[in-house]
Amino acid sequence: MNNINFSAGNPRKYVYYGLIAACMLVLSIGFYHLQIMQESIYRGKSEKNSVKKVTQIPVRGHIYDRNWGTFHITDSVLDSLMEDGVPYQARLRLEKIKQKIFPTEESFLDTLRKTIGNNLTQRHRPALLKYAQIGKLIVDNRPSFSLYLVPALTTRPALEALGAILEVAPEQISKNFRRSRRFQPVKIARYVTLETLVKLQENRLQFPGLEWKVEPKRNYYFRSSFAHVLGTLGEIGENELSQSEEYEAGDVVGKKGIEKGLDKELRGQKGFKFVKVDALGRTVEDLSPRENALPHPGKDLFLTIDARLQQYADSLFGDRNGAFVAVDPRNGEILTMVSKPDYDLNLFAEAVKPEVWQELMSDSLKPLYDRATQATYPPGSTYKMVAAIAGLNEGIITPQWTIFCPGYYRIGRRTVHCWNAAGHGEVNITAAIRGSCNVFFYQLGLKLGIEQWTKYSRIFQFGKPCGIELTSEKAGLVPSRAYYDRIYGKGKWTNGMLANIAIGQGELLVTPLQMAQFAMILANSGRYYRPHLTRKLVDKIPAYQVTEEALKQLEFQNAPQEILNLLRGLKERQFTQNELSELLETRVTAEEGQKYEPSILEYARKIFPPPDRVSYPAEMIEGIQPEVFEIIREGMRQVVAGGTGWRAGVWQKSGAGKTGTAQNPHGDSHAWFIGFTPFEEPEIAVAVIFENGGSGSGVAAPVVGQYLQRYYYYKGEFDYQKYREFQRMLWEKQKEKARQDSLQGAGIQLEPLNIRSGN
Amino acid sequence: MMLDRLKSLDLILLASVLGLLSIGLLAIYSTSQSGGDTNYFASQLKWIFLGVGIMVVAAFLPNRLYYEISYPLYGLSLILLVVVLFWGTAGYGATRWIRLGGFGFQPSEFAKITTVLALARFLSDERWEINRPKNFAVASLIIALPFLLIAKQPDLGTGLVFIVLALPIFYWVGLNTVSLVLIVAPAVVFIAAFNLYAFAVVIVLILAFLYYTRMPLLRSAGYMVFTVSLWFIRSFFWNQLKDYQKQRITTFWNPEADPLGSGYQIIQSKVAIGSGGLLGKGFLQGSQTQLRFLPEQHTDFIFAVIGEEFGFLGVLLTLAIFTVLLVRIVHASNMYRSEFSSVIGIGIATIIGFHMFVNVGMTIGLAPVTGLPLPFISYGGSALLSNLLMIGFLLNFYRHRYEY
Repeated sequence: MNNINFSAGNPRKYVYYGLIAACMLVLSIGFYHLQIMQESIYRGKSEKNSVKKVTQIPVRGHIYDRNWGTFHITDSVLDSLMEDGVPYQARLRLEKIKQKIFPTEESFLDTLRKTIGNNLTQRHRPALLKYAQIGKLIVDNRPSFSLYLVPALTTRPALEALGAILEVAPEQISKNFRRSRRFQPVKIARYVTLETLVKLQENRLQFPGLEWKVEPKRNYYFRSSFAHVLGTLGEIGENELSQSEEYEAGDVVGKKGIEKGLDKELRGQKGFKFVKVDALGRTVEDLSPRENALPHPGKDLFLTIDARLQQYADSLFGDRNGAFVAVDPRNGEILTMVSKPDYDLNLFAEAVKPEVWQELMSDSLKPLYDRATQATYPPGSTYKMVAAIAGLNEGIITPQWTIFCPGYYRIGRRTVHCWNAAGHGEVNITAAIRGSCNVFFYQLGLKLGIEQWTKYSRIFQFGKPCGIELTSEKAGLVPSRAYYDRIYGKGKWTNGMLANIAIGQGELLVTPLQMAQFAMILANSGRYYRPHLTRKLVDKIPAYQVTEEALKQLEFQNAPQEILNLLRGLKERQFTQNELSELLETRVTAEEGQKYEPSILEYARKIFPPPDRVSYPAEMIEGIQPEVFEIIREGMRQVVAGGTGWRAGVWQKSGAGKTGTAQNPHGDSHAWFIGFTPFEEPEIAVAVIFENGGSGSGVAAPVVGQYLQRYYYYKGEFDYQKYREFQRMLWEKQKEKARQDSLQGAGIQLEPLNIRSGN
Repeated sequence: MMLDRLKSLDLILLASVLGLLSIGLLAIYSTSQSGGDTNYFASQLKWIFLGVGIMVVAAFLPNRLYYEISYPLYGLSLILLVVVLFWGTAGYGATRWIRLGGFGFQPSEFAKITTVLALARFLSDERWEINRPKNFAVASLIIALPFLLIAKQPDLGTGLVFIVLALPIFYWVGLNTVSLVLIVAPAVVFIAAFNLYAFAVVIVLILAFLYYTRMPLLRSAGYMVFTVSLWFIRSFFWNQLKDYQKQRITTFWNPEADPLGSGYQIIQSKVAIGSGGLLGKGFLQGSQTQLRFLPEQHTDFIFAVIGEEFGFLGVLLTLAIFTVLLVRIVHASNMYRSEFSSVIGIGIATIIGFHMFVNVGMTIGLAPVTGLPLPFISYGGSALLSNLLMIGFLLNFYRHRYEY
C-alpha cells in the first residue's frame, strides 16, 4: 500500500471521488432543503420581513454672527419689555444698565437678578434674552419634503399623472432613473410643498412606488447681505462625489461660499437605522431602535462677521457695485465682507427655477460673483506703499530723498501725468503718500527695478490666495520679469511698465480681501493673521477627550486619585458630555461605594472643553526694518489727517489709510480706500472698492468714514448726537471767520477738515 | 499547428472553467446593475482576460521549469509573507495586501500555489517516503511555515486552506490509513470539545479504534492523554482568536443570536436563496440582490445571487460544473506519469474544492463565514489570477501526461 506506482494510476482515487460526491451531496441537500422544502417560508420573509439599513440625514448646522450670546439693554429692548408686561419700576432700574454689553448669558442674567430681582428675571427670561440679544441668527433650517420613486414600479401613465401634480414633464422625472437600481427608491423631487404632498397622498394608489422623506432646507434671515459669504447649497455633482467617502448621490452639499468651504463641519454625520421593508423596498416599520445610530448633527457656525456692520456696509453701497472687507488686525477675524451686487439667497433655498437661474447668469453685472475674494482689480494708488517700503528697506531711497513734481513726468517719448495737474512741488516719501503723488512713484519705480518690486509684492502676500475658508478665492496677479518676457517677448517691453505698476496700474491685479490683509499688515507693522470667517464651530453634541494635558491639570489641582485613575483609563477616547458624566458617576459610585460631590464631576467635565474656537497663529512679514513701517504708517496717518483720505477719519479717533483711483479699460476708474484705526493700536482694518465708482478720495473714503463711525458707535465710543453738535459749532465758527475775512477783503481757502463733512 | 496545440489541451477542464467564469460574470453583472460607484462587471472582465492570458502562458511553458523553480518560489513566498506582516496594507482588520505600483496583491494567494509546488517536489522524491516520521515532520513543516505566517495576519480562512491541504496530499502519496485516522481524530476532538456529550462519544470511538489496531499500550495511553488534553487547550485557543473571528464562529452556530450584526449576512443570504425556489426569480429580478440586502454580494456571497435569481436548478448546474471540474482534476492527476505533477493536481483540487465547499456552505449556514471567495465566480482579481494560474499548470501537466 505504501508503494504507489504512479505510472499505473492511484487506486486511492476512488476515495477522492467519494469525498467530492459526498460534499456535493451535502450541499445539494442543503439547497434542496432551503429552496424546495422551505421556499414558501423564505419567499414570505423576502416579501415582508426584510431588514434594511437606511441612512438618516443629519441636520445641517446653524449659522450665527459673532455677537450671538452677548446682550445689552437698549431703549427698544425696554419698549418691547413694557409691551410684554414688565412693570414700570423694573424699567427704571433697567435704565441703569442701559447699553452695557454683557459677554455671556450668565453675566447678563446675574446682573438682571441683582437689578430687578430673581422673580422678574425668571418670569421674563425668554423675552429678555430675545430682545437684548445683540447677535443675529443668520441661517437655520425648515422642514421640507423630498419624493422618492421606485423605477421598477412606475408606469408611463403614473409618471404622467405625477408630472401633472408636480408641474414638470414626465421626462424630467424619468431622467433621474438613469443611474439607479430598478428596485431602489430614487429621489425625483425635493422641496415639495405640503399641499402637493397632501395631493399625492390622496392619490397614493395611483403611485405604487412613491415615498417621501422629511428633509431640512435652509432658512435665511438676511435676504442678500450675506449672500456671498454664505453661498448656496445644491445637489452633489459627479466630481464632488469622488472627493469623500461620506458623500452619496442625491446628497445636498455646499456649492459656494462658506457652505462649501466648511461643508464637512456643517453637514454632520449620517446615521442609519434598521427598518423592515417589503419586497418593493417600502418601509414597513422601524426595527430595534437600540441598534440605530443617530445622525450626528452638523456643527453650529459662529461667523466672525458682525451682522449689524455687515448690513450697514451693505446699505452704504446703494446701487453701486464693489466690495467691502473689514478685518480685525489683532486676530484676522473678518468683521464685514460685502460684495455688490448680490442675490437673494431665498431663491436658492429650494431648487432654483430655470428662468431665475438664466436671469442671474445672463446679468452683465454678475451678481453670483463674489467681488471680495473672486474679483481681481488693479489696486491703483493704494499699492504705492509696496514700492515705498521696498525703496526704503533696500536703501534705494532715504526718507529725506525728494523729487520735484511739476504735474507730469517724461519716460522716453511718453509723457505721463500726475493726478494733480498743478503738481505737488517738492515732495519726500511721507508727502508723496499723503498727496498720492504719481510722479514721485514713477521715479521710485524706475529706481527700484522689476525684481525688487516683484519681491516685495510677494513678501506682502500678493499673487497668492489669503487662505480664507471660501474655496473659490483668487490669487490675483503679480507681474514679474519672467511674466513680461512671456507676454511681450524678451526685451520688447520698457521701463514704462515699471512706472505704471509702481502706482498700482498695469497688469497688477489684487482682490479686495488681499487689500484688507495688506491694510492689516501695515496696521500691525508686519504682523498678520490669516483672514477668516469662522469664529467658533460648536458641536451640538460636543466631544470630550481625556488628554495628557488635562490629566496634568487635574493632578495639579489635587483632583481625587480615584477620578484620576478612572480618567487615565479613558484616555484618547471621545465622549459626549452626557456619556462622560454618566460614566464618571456610575463608575466612581460603583468602585468607591460612595458618590462624589457633583461639583467634582462638574469640574472634571470642565477640564476638557470642546475645542471649538478657531484661531490662527500670528505670522510676520520678515526682513523689514521697524523704522520703515513707522515712516509709511506716518504717511498713511497724514492721508487721513488732512490728506486725500480725510473723509475716512472719525471724529476724536486717530486713523490711517490710503486712497486709490485705479484706471481701467472697462470704463470709469475704480474708487479704492484701505486703512485702519485707531492709529496707535489698530483694531480694525478695512479695504473698499467701488467698481467704476470714481475717485478714491471722493467716493471710497467717505463710505469708510461712515462705516467706522458706526463701528465705534456700536462699541459705545462714538456719539452721533454730540458729533452733530460739534459740527454745527464748527460750521458757525467758520462762517464767522469767513465773514470777518471778507470784511478784511481777502478770500481764504479753507483747509480740509480732519472730520467727515455733513453728507 | 494552432489546432494541434488546442487539441493537446484538456478540453473538459477548460470547458468547465469557462462555464464557471461565465456564471460568475452573469452574477456580477446582476449585482452591479445599479448606480454603484464601481463597475465590477467591467473590472472582472479585465481580470478574466488577464487571467486567461496567464493561464495560456503557464500551459505552454516547459514542463520541467515548475520542478526547478518550486523551492525558490516557496522561499520567495515566505519572504513576501514576512514582508506583508510588517509593511502590508490593512483591510478589514487584517494586513493581507502588498501594494506594487498601482495594484495590490495578497501574498497568501501566491503562497498557496508555491506551498503545493514545494510539497510536491519534496514528496515526489523516492527518498522522502511519507510514512517515516522524519519525512512526515518535514512535509508538515513545509505547510506549517506559511500557515503560521498567514494565521498571524490574521487570515483564518486562508490559513485553514493550508491545514486542509495536508491530508489529501499525504494520503495520495501513500500515508497509511491508521496514521490518517490518528491525525484526523484530534481535529474532530477539537471541534467536538464544544459539547461535552459529543466529546465523550468521540473519545470512546478513538479508544475503540486504538483497541482494533492493537497499538502498543504505552503509545495508546500517550495518544489518549493528548486528545483528552485538547479539551483544555480549546479554551486557550479560543482566547487567542480575535473578536471578529469568535463572532463568526458563534454566529455560525446561531445566526439568530445577532440578527442585525454578524448574523445579518447569513440570514439575508438564506432569505435570498430560499426565496429563489426551484426556478429562481429570474436574471436581474432578485429583489434581495437588487435591493442590496446582502453585503459583499459580489464577492463572498455571490452564490446567494445565483441561488436567488436562478433558483435550485441554477445551483445544481453550478455545483455540477464544479463536480466535473474536480473529478476531472483528480482523474487527470491519476493519469500523470510524473508523481510531481500528480501531487500538484491533488493539491489544486483540494484548494479549489475546499474554497468551493466552504463558500457555498457559508451561504446556507453550513459553514462559518470565513471570507473565502468562490473560485472563478466571486469578484476579485487576486484570487482569479491565482486560480487561473493553477488551471494553467494543470493544462501544462496534461499535455505532458505521458512523461515521467
